[in-house]
Amino acid sequence: METIFVLLPLALLIALIAVGFFIWAAKSGQFDDLETPAVRMLFDDEAPRVARPMAPADSTRRNQE
Amino acid sequence: MTPALQPNPSLATAPACAHCGLAVPLSLVRDHEDEQFCCQGCRQVRALVKEWGFEQYYQLIDRQQTPAAPARVSGRSFEDFDDERQHADATDILDADRRRTRLYLEGVHCAACVWLVEKLPAVLPGVDEVRLNYGSAVADITWRPGRTRLSVIARALDRLGYTPHVHRASRVQEARRVEDRAMLARVGVAAAGAMNLMFVSGALYAGEHSGMASAYEGFFRALSVIIAVPVLGYSARPFFQTALAGLRAGMVHIDLPIAVAIAIAAAASTWNAVSGSGPIWFDSLAMLVAALLGARQLQRGAQRLALERADSLRGVAFLEFARRIDGRAADAAVLEVPLAALLPGDLVEVRSGELIPVDGVVVAGVSSLDNAVLTGEAVPLPVVEGDAVNAGATNLGARLIVRVDATGARTRVGALLALVQDATARRPAVLQTTDVLARRFVFVLLAVAAATLVVTWSLLGPDAAFARVVALLVVSCPCALGLAVPLAMSVALMRAARAGIFIKNPDALERLRHVDTVLLDKTGTLTEGHARIASWHGDALVRELAGALEAQSAHVVARAFTTSPIRPLYAVRSVTEVVEAPGQGIAGVVDGHLVRVGNRGFIESAGTAISIHIEGAAWSMVGQGLSPVFVSVDGKIAGVAGIGDTLRADSMATVAALQQRGLRVRILSGDHAEIVARVAAQLGIAPGDAIGGLTPEGKRDMVAGLVTGPGRAGAVMMVGDGVNDAAALALADVGIAVDGGLGATIVAADIVLTREGVAPLLDVLDGAHRLRGVIRRNLAFSLLYNIGASSLALAGLVGPLLAAVLMPVSSLTVVLSSALTRTFVVSRAPQRRLARGRA
Repeated sequence: METIFVLLPLALLIALIAVGFFIWAAKSGQFDDLETPAVRMLFDDEAPRVARPMAPADSTRRNQE
Repeated sequence: MTPALQPNPSLATAPACAHCGLAVPLSLVRDHEDEQFCCQGCRQVRALVKEWGFEQYYQLIDRQQTPAAPARVSGRSFEDFDDERQHADATDILDADRRRTRLYLEGVHCAACVWLVEKLPAVLPGVDEVRLNYGSAVADITWRPGRTRLSVIARALDRLGYTPHVHRASRVQEARRVEDRAMLARVGVAAAGAMNLMFVSGALYAGEHSGMASAYEGFFRALSVIIAVPVLGYSARPFFQTALAGLRAGMVHIDLPIAVAIAIAAAASTWNAVSGSGPIWFDSLAMLVAALLGARQLQRGAQRLALERADSLRGVAFLEFARRIDGRAADAAVLEVPLAALLPGDLVEVRSGELIPVDGVVVAGVSSLDNAVLTGEAVPLPVVEGDAVNAGATNLGARLIVRVDATGARTRVGALLALVQDATARRPAVLQTTDVLARRFVFVLLAVAAATLVVTWSLLGPDAAFARVVALLVVSCPCALGLAVPLAMSVALMRAARAGIFIKNPDALERLRHVDTVLLDKTGTLTEGHARIASWHGDALVRELAGALEAQSAHVVARAFTTSPIRPLYAVRSVTEVVEAPGQGIAGVVDGHLVRVGNRGFIESAGTAISIHIEGAAWSMVGQGLSPVFVSVDGKIAGVAGIGDTLRADSMATVAALQQRGLRVRILSGDHAEIVARVAAQLGIAPGDAIGGLTPEGKRDMVAGLVTGPGRAGAVMMVGDGVNDAAALALADVGIAVDGGLGATIVAADIVLTREGVAPLLDVLDGAHRLRGVIRRNLAFSLLYNIGASSLALAGLVGPLLAAVLMPVSSLTVVLSSALTRTFVVSRAPQRRLARGRA
């Protein structure tokens, strides 16, 4: 049981490191904009994944891409 | 009389615009082209997007989710952006050759916009990175002054349909950001501390139940003190700060009882932990701090959206630049310069469709001005050489040259904006419901605590007495009370934002309860605010021909023709030989027919006689307050259009609904009294309640009189959209800016509507009413909890374990009660947004 005197402070130390990371992330502004990253991850350089209903006027041209 | 035109059966449905997806008005359909466009802006943007190879943009647009928005291109040169003083507020110097500038972009409306804007570095050399914040539409642009100029970047953005503005509010916003980040860090620390304390306390509670070796107990007690230090010393600091600040100002803030409870319970717990006996309350305290801070953070987050939007618009000066003519020669260079660079006596050029940037005198040109935002007059005012003009009016006709008399704060519009500042400062602060309750609560709590101390001391001795007082303070700490309002509010603010209602100042929701008078602006609020075809006399085909011709012009009458769609019958194939006579009309050949659209003189000057029939129709239009515009086809008079400002589609029903609620609806307008009276009659408003011909100062004084008038119990709600309403909005108990309002109005208003029309006013009233219900329910519950818990504490039945269970249960109830009620909702389907120009 004496191991608890070592393990508990160790666990708290790990928690402290996690909290430290959180404070760093918060203060460096990583949580400032919670909206744009959610849409930005949809973009990639290959074929787009977002389905788009075709507009009748330009559906032919679109398929050539 | 009717030209030989046949309806085109192939055009059953309108094609979609190849850029924005809106239906293309039939008068703009070009049969020989693959792609059709709803407007010139979309055509230009599409061409550029193709040229740069960014067509993926169109695949990223989710047309189901995104409101269609036609692109607007200002066509400015943005030379004024190259003046470093112009953007110093928004620019960070990263190193010797890199700058980061924040620009607010008009027209950001979908996720694909983020993609397109962030692609700029691929085509513009010297631009390192662009990051666009989708919510606030502010782009952070990293660029190299040695390799490019800001005006080049600005022009590129503009040509893509995102007119940029220097984001002057970025310093203010940065300060608020830093505060938000610190707050978030505090929430994180409190939450982590609370969770870890729960483990440690769990061990202690278990030990109390089944026995625990004293070495372990001492160890756990010591640990709980260590974990509690950052929670109480760092996270809880804002409670102590506001409580102290409140005390210094002689006010009892809701944070005072919280701070008192935390301080006393923390001191007692530390003492007990060190001395090795007695209850420890750290877990409950940490949970309390985490819950309260979390709720406040949520409310801040919900409010930030509305605030940032208002900030961006505050940063966007209403008038930003002028085209200065350097030299008196006929071919003198025209340069876009910042307004501050103008001196009295300088000459500036104002093109068709632009805002007049200065107060001055016209030295060349004939045109008409739209003064609606300044005076509320819906009918354009003709100007000729020698006439005085005011900054803020829109030039509807031909190019004008204006000699500068005054700029900036010395202009009439500058003085109006100063009025807004003044009015904002004059408004009395409201006392929050929670603060009123907190005041009573503090006194009751202190009285009960003192009584407990005295009674238990005499009965049970000092140790037990002190323990019970601490227990009382902990369980009756107004946690639920502190959560009741911020939680209900943050949920409501988010719901409201989703319904197109941005609540900048939540105090206004409190004042809404007392509203008994609604003051409405006319031009742009009850009416569309711009000219439309209100009545048409003649063949529908003729109207289409006239529309096709007018699509070539930027004149106000042309806008009326193109924004008043009719059921299409005929597809125009070609419009050629267009000649525009400024201030008179436009002529051209439409599919082989010579079409002339203009005033009486313009038609008659071509030798066309106006028939008695058309003449009669024109007279009846004048009688309705409309301006007649005649159309002739192949030298014969063929129709007449009555152009005027028409009521919004929802004005009639909204006014009736407001009256049904027992509210007194009045119109305050700067437009001519007889026009205002006519609108009032249409809406069923008593003639005495419709006041026209008011100056902006007059509006403000009317509102001031109503707000502070003797014997008034009710509050006054003012609704408007123009600069002339701004001071009145700021002074009213509740100021609401309708969709399409200018920056100044949005800054002055408490609530900003982003859904078209006045019907959202009803949603605001309903939502505020429901929100009050939620808050009342939350408060009633938290009071009930406090009475119950305090009674238990007084009886000596509350230990740390029970407190640790009671506290989250009571908070959770408040959370559920807040989250499950629909407060602000869209009461009707939003109308399709039509193209609407600001400039």
